[in-house]
Amino acid sequence: MAVPGASDSIDEATFDQILEMDEDQKEREFSKSIVYDFFTQAESTFGKMNANLEQKDFKMLSELGHFLKGSSATLGLTKVKDSCEKIQHFGNRKDEAGNKTISDDEALSKLRTTIEQAKQEFYDVEKVLKRFYHDEP
Amino acid sequence: MLPTSSGHGLSSQQHPPAPLPEPATAAARHQAEPSPSQVEDGSLAYDIFRHTPIPTLVLDSSLVICQVSDSYVAVSGACSREEIVGCHADDIFDQRVTFPTRDSARKAIQTARESKKPYVFEDLLADGTIAWSIRTIPISRHGNLRYFVMEVELEKQVSTNEIFRILVETVKDYAIFMLDPHGNIATWNKGAEVFKGYKREEILGKNFSNFYSQEDRDNDKPGRELAIALRDGRVEDEGWRYRKDGSKFWANVVITPVYRGDTLIGFSKVTRDLTERRAAESRLIAAYEEASKLKSEFLANMSHEIRTPMHGVLAALTLLLDTNLDTEQLELARVIEESGAVLLQVINDILDYSKLASGCFSISDDILSVSDIIQSVFRSFQKGSEPEPILERHLDPSLPKAAGGDSLRYRQIVQNLMSNAIKFTEKGYVRVNATLQEENEETYTILTEVVDTGIGVPATTSKSLFTPFTQFDNSATKRYKGTGLGLSISRSLAELMGGSIGFRPNPEGKGSVFWFTAKLKKVNQLKHLDAIQDNFKALAAEAPMSLFEEMKLVAINKRILLAEDNPINQKVCVKMLAGLGFDNIDLAADGSEAVQMSTKDSPPYDVILMDINMPVLDGVAATKEIRHAGVQTPIVAMTANALKGQAELYISRGMNDYISKPVDRKLLVTALLKCLKRDTPA
Repeated sequence: MAVPGASDSIDEATFDQILEMDEDQKEREFSKSIVYDFFTQAESTFGKMNANLEQKDFKMLSELGHFLKGSSATLGLTKVKDSCEKIQHFGNRKDEAGNKTISDDEALSKLRTTIEQAKQEFYDVEKVLKRFYHDEP
Repeated sequence: MLPTSSGHGLSSQQHPPAPLPEPATAAARHQAEPSPSQVEDGSLAYDIFRHTPIPTLVLDSSLVICQVSDSYVAVSGACSREEIVGCHADDIFDQRVTFPTRDSARKAIQTARESKKPYVFEDLLADGTIAWSIRTIPISRHGNLRYFVMEVELEKQVSTNEIFRILVETVKDYAIFMLDPHGNIATWNKGAEVFKGYKREEILGKNFSNFYSQEDRDNDKPGRELAIALRDGRVEDEGWRYRKDGSKFWANVVITPVYRGDTLIGFSKVTRDLTERRAAESRLIAAYEEASKLKSEFLANMSHEIRTPMHGVLAALTLLLDTNLDTEQLELARVIEESGAVLLQVINDILDYSKLASGCFSISDDILSVSDIIQSVFRSFQKGSEPEPILERHLDPSLPKAAGGDSLRYRQIVQNLMSNAIKFTEKGYVRVNATLQEENEETYTILTEVVDTGIGVPATTSKSLFTPFTQFDNSATKRYKGTGLGLSISRSLAELMGGSIGFRPNPEGKGSVFWFTAKLKKVNQLKHLDAIQDNFKALAAEAPMSLFEEMKLVAINKRILLAEDNPINQKVCVKMLAGLGFDNIDLAADGSEAVQMSTKDSPPYDVILMDINMPVLDGVAATKEIRHAGVQTPIVAMTANALKGQAELYISRGMNDYISKPVDRKLLVTALLKCLKRDTPA
């Protein structure tokens, strides 16, 4: 089932797998709770990323990127997942594919922009999902 | 009454003998007594007595009839005046005229003679057809009794009866009729005809049990009703009664025994048709039920709306607790966590309850093992439990290894009863007994008991234990938390599973026994095993059974450990595993927890799903430690680092298989089947 307006931000097959777990295809109690849990988790993770960006804690930023990558991947939120993977790599002071080593400064500036990008991608998909669960016009 | 002016010396017997004189022959009387012609036509007395509309007899003191009114002749059954006038009273009463009767005439005359006053008596013919009252007036001159005037007031009583009879017979809204002492129908009115459809001539003499259903007749309900009416003086009943055409109506019936004097002459039976009222009542009940259902639906929706943000609050709180909080913050956060957990439980309870109450709750039909469920509930309570109460379990060895039922709901009841028991027991034990109570061709009935040595339940509250929103401890200073819905939910769940639930005091003195039964469907295990084997053989070729069906069979009784740090992934994964038929899923939040949980004396798990990137100890290191401890439980790696060639890497580190994240259900099933198949004695 395609989520309206999701275009390339949600992987249909993965998200369908979650929707299939709903006992009631109308109420969608389970998937909704998961998605909303994810909203909370993402908000909190972005908050931590900002704090660690201030402290330039690369290791922590990489871990946070990995953490959010896991759950966004589970939900099939492709764009957020891809950005989180980049954050993970930049935190390891690697380039976005995770191959070449980059300087601290480069890593920091890339982290800053990618975190902002990830946030924007998250807010976009959040809107789409809230509409899907009839919580927003 | 006018005084008689008759001047004829009528009586030769001024002093009458006490008994009536023997009747003289008519001939003798003619010589000794005045003839009727002596009362002249046209005289005042003649006119009065002959033409009064009140049936009147005038007797002289020797009781010979000397005047009679036409009105008397008309009603008394006599042929003519001449037949009566001049005759002695004894000759005509009981013989030529129908009233008064001879005995009552004698008594009346004698009383009037002695009292010298008018005397009224009422009388009735033996067959009950005519009743009357007669006033006997003694008339004396100079102290000598000369005449008796008898005035008859006829049918006074009969006419009242007649009104009643007409009333009863024409009432159409009630069936009113008489039964003889044996219950056979003696009278029939219009209402009875309308209600029951029988004509008078069809039903008279038949037994009233004809109106009852066959079942009522078989139980001799009609007979019992008569017996009760005799004993209590009345019986009232509401129920279905049947018409001649076989249709039924809802009737209210009152049966009353009827006596004359001390003799039972039968029963009166009054029947009302309440079909309309009953229909109105059921409409009311339907309206009430509809309202109640709407209320429950509202509750269900509301609870759902509350629960979603509540999950958000708790999830955020979990994350908050992971941050560096100082002691005071940590304490406050713990308070929020604890209250939040209680609130969530309350919401869940209300949601369950309102779903149950609105009837939109269904029981699923999985394969479950009672012993596994109880063991798993047990484990969850054993973790971090206090030294007391001691937790014990007794599982009947004859419990089925696998049966059809709703494992989640079964578990919910066991969990509820156990958490109650533990909550209310500070010392002693909490014991779970599960026994196979009954077995037939299709089902097992399983009895599960939770016995504790806690504070017990006072006899006064034991009745309302299973009523929603009632709590045994209602004091202002409540020591125990909860909604008061747990037991009521458990009751509904047990009933949905075809069983029941109950309470009795612990026979060992202190504490309680809560028990419930559930009917579980039989599954043909042999058949299933065969199916599994066939399936394995046919695995390469297109299996007749789908992968998921096979998974569900293999998952029976399998214990699985999921090591995963991200709560969202945990939740999704647990749900997926539950959907695949696993009902025994434990969680580890990091690698070291996974090592701890999986390296107990006897390996507690059949398979471990291991995330690679976890805090404290990662999946690869955890696997190394588990293998190092000599535990050979299959381990499936899960990772989002989906690079080629990593499968080999992980397998070289002691894992058995590898799946990439996000977890694809099909791939997960294939991996799990590969691991579990090895353990299944095929």
